Amino acid sequence: MTMDTPAAPWLDSHVPDTLAEAWTNLRAQGRRSALALLGILIGTASIIAMLNSGHMAQRESLKLFAKLGIDMLQIQAVPAGDAPVALSRTAIAALPVVDPEVLEVIALATGRATARAGAASADLAIFAPAPALARMVGLVAARGRMLGAAEDCALSVVLGADAARALSGPAAAVGPGSVLLLGGYGFTVVGVLAPVRPETLDPVNYNMAAMIPPGCARRVIPGGGPNALLVRLQPGADSKAAGARISARLTPREGTLTVLDAQSILATMQAQKAVHSRMLIAIGAVSLLVGGVGVMNVMLMSVMERQREIGLRAATGASPGALRLLFLTEAVLLSMAGGIAGSLLGAGISYAIASGSGWDFDLAPWTLALGPVVAGGMGLVFGLYPAISAARLNPIDALRAD
Amino acid sequence: MLRLERICRQYNAPARTLAVLDTVTLSVERGEFCAIVGPSGSGKSTLLNIIGLLDRPCSGRLEIGGEAIRSWTPHATASLRNRLIGFVFQSFQLLPRLTAWQNVALPLQYRGVARPARREVAEAMLARVGLAAWSDHLPSQLSGGQCQRVAIARALVGQPQLLLADEPTGSLDSATSREVMALLRSLNAELGITVLMVTHDQELAASCPRQIRLRDGRIVEGSEARAA
Repeated sequence: MTMDTPAAPWLDSHVPDTLAEAWTNLRAQGRRSALALLGILIGTASIIAMLNSGHMAQRESLKLFAKLGIDMLQIQAVPAGDAPVALSRTAIAALPVVDPEVLEVIALATGRATARAGAASADLAIFAPAPALARMVGLVAARGRMLGAAEDCALSVVLGADAARALSGPAAAVGPGSVLLLGGYGFTVVGVLAPVRPETLDPVNYNMAAMIPPGCARRVIPGGGPNALLVRLQPGADSKAAGARISARLTPREGTLTVLDAQSILATMQAQKAVHSRMLIAIGAVSLLVGGVGVMNVMLMSVMERQREIGLRAATGASPGALRLLFLTEAVLLSMAGGIAGSLLGAGISYAIASGSGWDFDLAPWTLALGPVVAGGMGLVFGLYPAISAARLNPIDALRAD
Repeated sequence: MLRLERICRQYNAPARTLAVLDTVTLSVERGEFCAIVGPSGSGKSTLLNIIGLLDRPCSGRLEIGGEAIRSWTPHATASLRNRLIGFVFQSFQLLPRLTAWQNVALPLQYRGVARPARREVAEAMLARVGLAAWSDHLPSQLSGGQCQRVAIARALVGQPQLLLADEPTGSLDSATSREVMALLRSLNAELGITVLMVTHDQELAASCPRQIRLRDGRIVEGSEARAA
């Protein structure tokens, strides 16, 4: 007698059939299936929310370096005593020549002063930058104009957006043409800057500052020499090492230097985030585990209740492999449904976190795919035991069960 | 067609061994319609389970359709059951979530037949048992007699050698019982299928051409085919 049965019949036509049957069975279980999903749902949702908020936090922290990039150092001279401190102009000019990793150096003189316009007054940061700063940072005049090359020693000032607003009274708005008193000198406002998004490496808050020409900065800034630098490094340079080298070259006798480098700041932020991530992953993993046990429980109950069905299937020719496949498919489908719902919930939680933290909402697509995949894996692991016990039932006893 | 040689089956109870079948030898020819009768505990069900490859004998030789059963692994017997044997149970054993035709098609599914072909064959079989119009109904929408006819269609859809029926009319009223019996007899006559039926009903048994009578695990009557 010939065998008209393929060697492994459940491999070809059985997979789509098994899927369809498993789906029908799950739907028939209704509420119980849904309850089993709860653990899987919470587990995947928390993991996905965690991964996504990590992804958004990363984007946000990179935004803090969007204008200047991450190959950038900020150096500030700190006076040791009361006397103002300044950096050597010749040493600054020589930096790109002697240090091959330094591409560009922009020096600023910075200070603070009270500005008065009519009855209004405000405490402003004063900065007198090399002309290249405006280009590098992207400072543009929203009203009036920027400082010209010809007014290196003029009594002209460009105000930051917030500074102009702070000095404007209800009667008189401060804008181009206004005169304001700065450190005893009368400065003419020639322009007002467009608002700038503050970044970590900014030497001053440009929005609440007054920009004056560098030539005669000593009128309002004690010392008047450069006391802050922005150093652009070659992309990929080791910014910590470069900071140490530059620091050794420039440290003045009468003070010290503080060096901020973007890469170290990012690394610190990420290290803090990693602690939180590990904690959230642990919570998610525990929920998933609980969910997996829930799926196993539902599947075991299902095997118990469907003994007669199992016996009948065995009697009509279902091999142990086909029975295992059926119950394993149900477990995986059940878990994956929880994983898909968990992905959606996780995306929702990420959105809530983003709006709560004032971040821009952004989904990493791979995290959404992760939900069903991880949950399906859980179903595979936790569905194995119920599937094996279904396939091991003795058909005679199974047919007799009530 | 069916040969049992010195089949034994015993259960190991604590302290003693219970022989349920004691050196049973039996042969059935193709196309026979046999009733298996005997008091409770005489071994009728065990005999049917062994012939149906659901239970394994402790010793002896079994041959179905000229094929000797050598491997008793669950995988091997599942494949043989699918090909050689159709079952009809007292309680119908239809899957409640599947429609009539899907229930009938179940053996074909485990044979790897594609869905459209399954449906066609299953519906033809349903038509043969007089339920062509009920193909898309669920078992809960059918009467007991209709359910048993669906179960008979399922048992025969794979063209098995042997139909094993365990009290097929046990859950039915007498009028419906007669209909189901008439159906089994006509399928036996028209398709030439061999039928073995366990029953308690003396009248039903007497209406069968051959009776196999068991007592205390031994065949006391009808172990050899009657000369036609």
